[in-house]
Amino acid sequence: MRKIFMLAFILILALVSCSYSQENITIGACIYRFNDAFMLRFRNAMQAESEKSGAKISITDGQDDQNTQDAQIDEFIANGVNVLIINPVDRMTSQGIIDKAKSANIPVVFINREPTPEMLNSYERAYYVGAKAEESGTQAGQLIADYFKAHPEADKNHDGKIQFVMLKGQNGHQDMILRSKYSVEAIKAAGFEPVEIASAIANWDKLQAMNIMNAFIMSIGPENIEAVIANNDEMALGAVEALKNNDYNKGDPALYIPVVGVDANASALDAMDKGEMLGTVLNDADNQGASAVKLAAALASGKDINSIGYTITDNKYIWIPYQKVTRGDK
Amino acid sequence: MSEYLLEMKNITKIFPGVKALDNVQLNVRKGTVHALMGENGAGKSTLMKCLFGIYEPNGGEIYLEGQKAEIHSARQAMDKGIAMVHQELHPIRFRSVMENVYLGRFPGHMGIVDHKAMYDKTKALFEDLELDVDPLALAGDQSAAILQMMEIARAVDMKAKIIILDEPTSSLSDREVAHLFKIINRLKAQGVAFIYISHKMKEILEISDEVTIMRDGTYVGTWPVVNKETGEKLTNDFIIRQMVGREMTNQFPPREGRPLDEVVLKVEHVSSPLKKSFQDVSFELHKQEILGIGGLVGAQRTEFVEALFGLRGIASGEIYLNGAKYSSKSPGFAKSRGLALLTEERRATGIFGILPILENTVIANQKNYASMGILNEHKRRVEADRECKKLNVKTPSLETLIQNLSGGNQQKVLIARWLLTNSDILILDEPTRGIDVGAKYEIYNIMLEQISQGKSIIMISSEMPELMGMSDRIMVMCEGRVTGFLNKGEYTQEKIMALATQFAGRNTAA
Amino acid sequence: MAEITTSKSKRLFTTAGIIFLVLGIALYFLKAPMGLNRKIYDLPIFLIIIGVCFALKGFMSANKPNNELERVSFGEFLTNNAILLAMLVLVVVICILQPRFMQIRVALDILTQSSTKLIMALGICFTLLIAGTDLSAGRMVGLAAVVSASMLQTATYANRFFPDLPQVQLWMPIVIAIIACMVFGALNGFLVAKYDMHPFIATLAVQVIIYGACSLYFDMPPNNSQPIGGIRPDFAQLGQMRLFSMGRDFPGISILIPIAAVICVIIWFILNKTVFGKNVYAIGGNREAAVVAGISVFKNIMAIFILASCLYGIAGVLEAARTAGATNNYGNGYELDAIAACVVGGVSLNGGIGKVSGIIMGVLIFTIIQYGLQFINVSPMWQQVIKGVIIAVAVAIDLTKYRRK
Repeated sequence: MRKIFMLAFILILALVSCSYSQENITIGACIYRFNDAFMLRFRNAMQAESEKSGAKISITDGQDDQNTQDAQIDEFIANGVNVLIINPVDRMTSQGIIDKAKSANIPVVFINREPTPEMLNSYERAYYVGAKAEESGTQAGQLIADYFKAHPEADKNHDGKIQFVMLKGQNGHQDMILRSKYSVEAIKAAGFEPVEIASAIANWDKLQAMNIMNAFIMSIGPENIEAVIANNDEMALGAVEALKNNDYNKGDPALYIPVVGVDANASALDAMDKGEMLGTVLNDADNQGASAVKLAAALASGKDINSIGYTITDNKYIWIPYQKVTRGDK
Repeated sequence: MSEYLLEMKNITKIFPGVKALDNVQLNVRKGTVHALMGENGAGKSTLMKCLFGIYEPNGGEIYLEGQKAEIHSARQAMDKGIAMVHQELHPIRFRSVMENVYLGRFPGHMGIVDHKAMYDKTKALFEDLELDVDPLALAGDQSAAILQMMEIARAVDMKAKIIILDEPTSSLSDREVAHLFKIINRLKAQGVAFIYISHKMKEILEISDEVTIMRDGTYVGTWPVVNKETGEKLTNDFIIRQMVGREMTNQFPPREGRPLDEVVLKVEHVSSPLKKSFQDVSFELHKQEILGIGGLVGAQRTEFVEALFGLRGIASGEIYLNGAKYSSKSPGFAKSRGLALLTEERRATGIFGILPILENTVIANQKNYASMGILNEHKRRVEADRECKKLNVKTPSLETLIQNLSGGNQQKVLIARWLLTNSDILILDEPTRGIDVGAKYEIYNIMLEQISQGKSIIMISSEMPELMGMSDRIMVMCEGRVTGFLNKGEYTQEKIMALATQFAGRNTAA
Repeated sequence: MAEITTSKSKRLFTTAGIIFLVLGIALYFLKAPMGLNRKIYDLPIFLIIIGVCFALKGFMSANKPNNELERVSFGEFLTNNAILLAMLVLVVVICILQPRFMQIRVALDILTQSSTKLIMALGICFTLLIAGTDLSAGRMVGLAAVVSASMLQTATYANRFFPDLPQVQLWMPIVIAIIACMVFGALNGFLVAKYDMHPFIATLAVQVIIYGACSLYFDMPPNNSQPIGGIRPDFAQLGQMRLFSMGRDFPGISILIPIAAVICVIIWFILNKTVFGKNVYAIGGNREAAVVAGISVFKNIMAIFILASCLYGIAGVLEAARTAGATNNYGNGYELDAIAACVVGGVSLNGGIGKVSGIIMGVLIFTIIQYGLQFINVSPMWQQVIKGVIIAVAVAIDLTKYRRK
């Protein structure tokens, strides 16, 4: 066992050192955990971007343990990387990472998990690349508004208002609060009047969402529901199953209720292909990964960071918008 | 001022479907021991529970020192100077003796316990009761006798005027009984009255001043043990006659026939893995024999028979069953080889209290009513009914929960359970403990009937008359070892006691 | 004192039954002409069903011998059936607030949702009957859901769990999923029986192990913790099929209802008619006495936990089929709902007491209350409070019932 570890260690050292022997920029990137579907996409995007730009990138797996990640960062600094990209395990301990980078005078780009502004402001070469959580809500709302613009008949009772049902995630969760609030805001902003006829907490869970949606269909009557907004795809799919059980969303345009979610997971895309679900919102890992690498490369080489093609907000943040995904643009 | 300390008048208690007490009275004088007697199910416990506030009587009054008393809870009873030492003691095993004595009324101020005071008080109490126990010792490590003394100490400390003792000697050795009586007599002199519930005639006549007898929930009468005018003492026969309501000519049914020469069970040098338990036990059990096992508490008799039945481990030695080698793996295995064990602790290891009599009767014999695991309901019922009727179990129906039966009837159900398995060797551990005279006689009859059908019996008993009256042969054990065998005709109480105490003092001297 | 003798209650039931029946039939024919269709929905049919049930009950008890001692005072009658009565009151309130509740399809929906819960509760009741518990039940549901769903995806689905897995026979993944649960059930039983571990601790440990193992499986590439979707239609049918469906008029009976009914009958049979069932009650009633009676506690406890896990497995597979999907979080916390339902249904946590009919009652009461509160859109926080109060009150009433003896 120990031999294997030793071997692996030597191998990593060899890999790391040979990549540093290049004249090019080297990027040290730490991911909080490799086994995370979203971070997997993020990681692939970073890898692709660095291959394209010629920068060398070395990515480590923090195994969801801040101590492990700290050791990895120390090693990167000791090996003289030019820039760090950090996806912290615990975003509240990011100050330590910033201090380390500051004392080594290496720029650091945080991704996906946002340090507090105070932390970022403590070092002029600390940046953050990510998405604004509330945007996922906004875009889900826009999907519904867009649908109602394109399909006036979706307003079944012709009162000019959108009677919707909301399926919420775990109570108190940041995403649940923001997505619930901003999806309604977006409908309003698009000129419709949203009316919440029912809402319930389904804990991100397909099964619970299905049971709850069933009860709503019975109590409100499917003919009175004009839209279903779910905080994530799983709950949206649960709602879809419940609707299908009541012969809705099975292809008959007269029996259709638009359902939107967030995440763009494979099951949701599949349901959209079948016409059972209206749309979902994608957290754009590709653009986030690419921009993080571009920003890091620019910082390391001393180039102007405003020239990389992404807007830098407050000289600290790159906000990558969420993307709407609807039928056909899978 | 009334001549009585306690007067219970016309107490009536009705349970759903049963009149448990019907106009019962009990009058106890200050500074006396008042024996309360009756067959099991006669209503003694119910009456005591009414006095102690556990049950609310449906009618009748209680007077304490001439004043009418309202007792609705055990707490109130205790405040009024009534204390109860239960037959089965449930100490808090992992706390010290002194904490058990002062449980619920720890000395101290504002919720902070004064351990020093508690220790000193307990020590003083124990000295008074001639009890050599460290107040800091764990209650769980103490013998039944000490736990009982602990309860009495508690009662004394609470300045109890009346102490109820429920079968206090059922698990005490003779020496411990003597100690208990000494203490009772001393407290009596201090004006404390005792209500003494027991089945042991000899003790009753020795310790008590008056006897009240109950039968089937009714009051039979109260007699002084020694008639002041004539100086005559009450006799065994008189008391039994009053309790049973009929003449009882013989305590034991006549034994017919003799054991055969055929050996059914041969035990050779069997030892427990535990040093302090049974060691090097050897004997032979003949067909149609009742082998009694005598000894004092701690003789490891129960441990030995449990090992024989597969409930405990055996380290060395050999056992032959009908000539073939036998190893006691598990109770299931023992059962399949024709052994049956009626355990000593009826409540803890015998009955399934919350299950009906039917289930309790057939539980050990289920396999015989099943094909492919599926039960034949009709067969179960027929056989349980037959067996319970044969053993004269008094119950409204087979659906009655066994916990609602009296001890004697519960025991009969347990015997019925093992008779159904048609076992060849019945091991009976204290088969008549806590059972009234009438039921005892019935159980003796059952034993003899089984013998006549070719079965063999091993019987552990701590009651000398029973041991001598029923056994064909007696094996005496002391501290885990067999100290001797006595054949019918040659045994006397003195001989048995001599063997049972053979090693007495050896351990304490070491 | 108001006392209801059996003969009185017989008459009470029969008269009430007939009144309901007549009222139901009258309303059935009158509702269309009176324009009540949208106001009372299927109320007449419910009245007819209730009337028939009452009348039958009165008729059945009329044939039983009359025991004079079996008097129940009015107060006792109330406490004996407090939860049931509270539920009836709640149902009436919901019907008034939201008349749509009086639909046959609502009743069927409640039965459908109860089905998987009932199967779980029947499993957990075995562990409760031996004065134990099973905290791993919910996670086993998740395991069975994930394992079965992972092998039953359509060939064209983009994100298949096993991209190269051929379209296997439907029963194979189901059996594999149930066996996976039974392996963990055996582990539960082994820890409890062999080491005499308290079931609370043993099953807590196994719960954590199962969740970990299930998450590892769920996280295997290429799936990487993505919810499993693209379920094969033949598998989804197992949870979604409707029998006797007649288009708009009658939504049909979900296949889950007959499945749960069959399992109920089987479990009733096991508990009441087999040696194993009697042994379960005996071990729960007095474990030491069971040992002395020659019952192998080891074998029986093993069997109990394995049988229970088999039922959880079935429930998990059905949940996956019904929702056409699975994640490792399926079934999270279900065990507590199931235990609560059992307790409300009269199963004693001290072991030895419990009946299948009670468990069915408990699960139905729970589902109806939960569904009903959802139906009138009560806030989820209030739903939690009400659920907790029901558990506490039900157990308190149950215990006073026993204490009275």
